[in-house]
Amino acid sequence: MWHLTLAQARAHRARLALTLVAVVLGVTFVTGSLALTDTSQRLFEDQFRTATAGVDLTIRDSAAFDSAMGVEVERDPLPAGIVDTVRGVDGVADAAASAVGQGLLEVDGRPAVPAGPSVLSSWSPAPFGAFDVREGTEPTEDGDVVLDVATARTYGVSVGDRVTVRADRTGTLRVVGLAGFGTQDGLADSTVALVTLPTAQRLLGLGDEVTQVQVVAAEGVAPTDLQEAVGRRIGTAFDVATAQDTVSAGADAARSRLAMIRVMLLSMAGAALLVGGFLIANTFSIVVSQRSRELALLRAVGATARQLRTSVLGEALVLGAVGSAIGTVLGVAAGYGLRGVAASFGVALPDGGLVVAPRTLLVSLGVGVVVTVLSAVGPARRAARVAPVEALRESRTAAPSRRRVAAGAVAASVAVAAVGAALGGAGVALVAVGAVAVLVALVLLGPALAPSLARVVGRPLGAAGVTGRLARESAARAPRRTAATTTALAVGLALVAFMTILGQSVKASSAGTYQDVVSADLVVESARAEMLGGLSHDVHHAVEDVPEVAVVSRVRYGHWKDAGATSALTAVEPETLGEVASVDMVAGSIDALADGGVVVAADEAAERGVEVGDMLTMTFARTGDQDLEVVGLVDERDAQALATGYLVSMETYAEHFTEDVDASLLVALADGVSVADGERAVADALTGFPTAAVRDLAAVAQARAAAVDEILGLVTVLLLLAVAIALLGITNTLALSIVERTREIGLLRSVGTTRRQVAWMVRWEAVLVAVLAVVVGVALGAGLGAAGVRALSGSDPVAVSWPVGRLALLVLVATAAGLLAGALPARRASRIGVLAAVARR
Amino acid sequence: MTTTLLPATRTVAAEARAVVKTYGKAETEVRALDGADVRIDRGRFTAIMGPSGSGKSTLMHVLAGLDTVDSGQVRIGDTELTSLTEDQRTLLRRERIGFVFQSFNLVPSLTAGENIALPLTLARRRPDPAWTDRVLETVGIAGRLGHRPSELSGGQQQRVAVARALVARPEIVFADEPTGNLDSRTGDAVLGLLRHATGELGQTVVMVTHDPAAAAHADRVVFLVDGRVVDELDDPTSAAVHAATARLGAGKE
Ligand SMILES: Nc1ncnc2c1ncn2[C@@H]1O[C@H](COP(=O)(O)OP(=O)(O)OP(=O)(O)O)[C@@H](O)[C@H]1O
Ligand SMILES: [Mg+2]
Repeated sequence: MWHLTLAQARAHRARLALTLVAVVLGVTFVTGSLALTDTSQRLFEDQFRTATAGVDLTIRDSAAFDSAMGVEVERDPLPAGIVDTVRGVDGVADAAASAVGQGLLEVDGRPAVPAGPSVLSSWSPAPFGAFDVREGTEPTEDGDVVLDVATARTYGVSVGDRVTVRADRTGTLRVVGLAGFGTQDGLADSTVALVTLPTAQRLLGLGDEVTQVQVVAAEGVAPTDLQEAVGRRIGTAFDVATAQDTVSAGADAARSRLAMIRVMLLSMAGAALLVGGFLIANTFSIVVSQRSRELALLRAVGATARQLRTSVLGEALVLGAVGSAIGTVLGVAAGYGLRGVAASFGVALPDGGLVVAPRTLLVSLGVGVVVTVLSAVGPARRAARVAPVEALRESRTAAPSRRRVAAGAVAASVAVAAVGAALGGAGVALVAVGAVAVLVALVLLGPALAPSLARVVGRPLGAAGVTGRLARESAARAPRRTAATTTALAVGLALVAFMTILGQSVKASSAGTYQDVVSADLVVESARAEMLGGLSHDVHHAVEDVPEVAVVSRVRYGHWKDAGATSALTAVEPETLGEVASVDMVAGSIDALADGGVVVAADEAAERGVEVGDMLTMTFARTGDQDLEVVGLVDERDAQALATGYLVSMETYAEHFTEDVDASLLVALADGVSVADGERAVADALTGFPTAAVRDLAAVAQARAAAVDEILGLVTVLLLLAVAIALLGITNTLALSIVERTREIGLLRSVGTTRRQVAWMVRWEAVLVAVLAVVVGVALGAGLGAAGVRALSGSDPVAVSWPVGRLALLVLVATAAGLLAGALPARRASRIGVLAAVARR
Repeated sequence: MTTTLLPATRTVAAEARAVVKTYGKAETEVRALDGADVRIDRGRFTAIMGPSGSGKSTLMHVLAGLDTVDSGQVRIGDTELTSLTEDQRTLLRRERIGFVFQSFNLVPSLTAGENIALPLTLARRRPDPAWTDRVLETVGIAGRLGHRPSELSGGQQQRVAVARALVARPEIVFADEPTGNLDSRTGDAVLGLLRHATGELGQTVVMVTHDPAAAAHADRVVFLVDGRVVDELDDPTSAAVHAATARLGAGKE
């Protein structure tokens, strides 16, 4: 039987070609996503490993946790004297102190802004430092700086040039050398400025303190033993980590930073595979029905039903294996492409050679083969059901079974109920249930609904004359084919519509809320995409000194652990917040924050069952577990405008956080000063701070919307791949159906249908399927989108905004794409000879 | 030769002269038509007979503009087909020719009525109601117009096909073994229909057949052997056709 399977696969090469493309594309996506995120992870890990290569222990101030949301927490500095204490511990060969922090590099007055951090560090010679001088010398005097080779190359800096570094203080430094990092030319997505320890301390405002002490163990001393010994000597106020701890902590941070993009890429890959699965199932169905006479003949000469089923599944196995293999190879190349796509939508991933883990290969090959074989199960069962007598009979399409329709009706009711409940305010989980139920209903009911839907939606085709009517009938009379093709495209389009509506609504509501709550005339924010913002307090002072400015109120963000889970809070200045924002309180007052405590968003408070006067345990990196009194409850929409559900005062923040940067400054102008004048004055005052940007309220709201747009854009582009696969499905299905309809088309030609008319008949059918998919897809996407928005917005419903323009565009594009998808089969159909109708077979 | 035997008074509906049609090339070349000359008289029922592989179907395809020739001339009325493009031949078929094939005559997705109207719809012509009624009445299918081909018997399907061939009032109707798949009673009904079309409706009909009894319905029988016309009979009887067939078959051995 196996040789028959292979012979079949070979004989149907052409029919399976486009199916192969679907498998290849889906697998390419999976491989690319995995390879890309693995690569980023590996690059980050390598970086940590190189950084700690020659060092056995690193001593820093202790912290309750190392990183949150992929951002390493800042720690308090250490007294410099600790180095000597450590040197005195038995088993320590040597120890060295260093100062490391953030320092923005400026070249020729222009800031060099990398996607990642701007590192400012003291120079440590080997074995403590991982940098080695490639050109020039190491920094020896105050005012010397060494840059990494990659940064120097990117910004055109050479030895002897002058650059400015902005940290706590600003310094103009002379480049005395260029350094490499292990085998790399620098750190991924970063700029690195290496200076002498005193320079670093001065610029970072550390006084005579340092940020870390690195220790090398004596020959034969195990790092873990030494860790204990050092810990005993210096006490629990300090954190002693082995090189291994440091690497794994860094890797953890990197992993959580990459988690979101990985999940996103893999879900899009999943969507592509889902759509591909429909296409595969459809192709096999058609091939099986075209071969039913042949299958019947095989049955007549003694093949068992089981053998036929195995044969079809074997064919799928071959196809899946070949497609996955090609897809995996292409996927490695696609990794680079995906990085480019992500970068163009503002998601930066480090550059470097791709890492292809064995797991990636296994997953990609496995997923491709499993999806292909699973998709072929239905058609294989149908092949096995072909009765031997059918060899002698014209095949007919069987009506969908009653059981199938009943099951479909149940799924549809579940979907309607779930979406209805979500619209009424039930949880997000119900929307997911609804989405799955919709998919099941679509698959089960598709063939039953296709004929009437095709006739209704295809009514306007009557105007296109007999070709249009023939196209409509052809679609209506092959319900299984039409349903499968339509469903594949509809799923892709529904996802696009869903994301568009969700994104648009989130955008509109967040912009609306922000403008409802914040009444400031101007907002100063960092122009860089930093998780906690990045305005030094010099910015705050500079803005305060502007005569046109009446009030400046600062806002900061910080991470904390909520019973182990990472959460975020916002620090505000209660005394001035009222002048730049109108925050609605449900209970208590925001002024009470001045005496410590925390204000919690009403919905969060309800969820945890806390009220004003209760205590809330919060874990801070710097101070560990702390009990804060709940002094007020804030309206949750207003809390949203301030970014988190927990508000504390600046003083409380300073107590528990080492971080000392503002996220934004809310500015109220003096009476009689116009916003334009005020903005100009503040901008003038900020010329010394190239990364601080001042904007009016509308512009800020717009910038927030733009951030949503970027992610939305990325998701849409990635989803379009699924749509493209679905369009391939239309091409494939029609091309196959034309093989099936050779005699019919020959007949039409013989009674006087022109080539053009035949071609149009096929094109119209493609357009009909596309439009059908648009109708179904957009309707489902809109329903689920609306339900999703309602479910996500909680007790205070966010209005669903309908991006009518975008949806209209989707309809137009899909229709045009349908026309395009019909081009190839139309050509094929128009080439069918007149004599095909009478050809003996 | 054979053509000179025809009475000069008859007008010519279609004509093939010295037509050569080959399939394949070099060693595998088959001369399906090897200098065939034939004239189809207007208003008569002509049958084409000959052994299997003698080129009957090929001749019909060539005469009907379904296929091209290697050399020689083919005319429908005054139109020379060999110089027409594929699209021009398509239009010619649509407007001036009707077909009945042995099987698979109907578009499965259209009803019987729609199938019958197809040539008119394609040409965007309005059916002539009186004529249509007469055709439908003649083929006796009026009650089943709303049915799809899969819901009709083989004989009914062939009758629908005949109706379609006649409804646009083509100059010639070509039929290739229209009764080949039917039992003799149903076959007789279809033949009677074609006969009726030539007699009462004034059609010109050309039919390829293997069956001497079927050929006996015709006004004239043309015999083809190895791609050439070798004999013909006017007003044949079944017995005469049998005799001629036997003679030609024996001569061939
Ligand atoms: N498409 C083709 N390719 C190659 N050879 C062909 C083709 N069509 C017909 N022939 C050959 O041309 C010759 C004439 O074929 P044709 O179909 O005209 O015969 P026929 O008289 O109609 O036979 P039958 O009575 O069996 O229908 C045969 O030898 C046939 O094999
Ligand atoms: Mg023949």
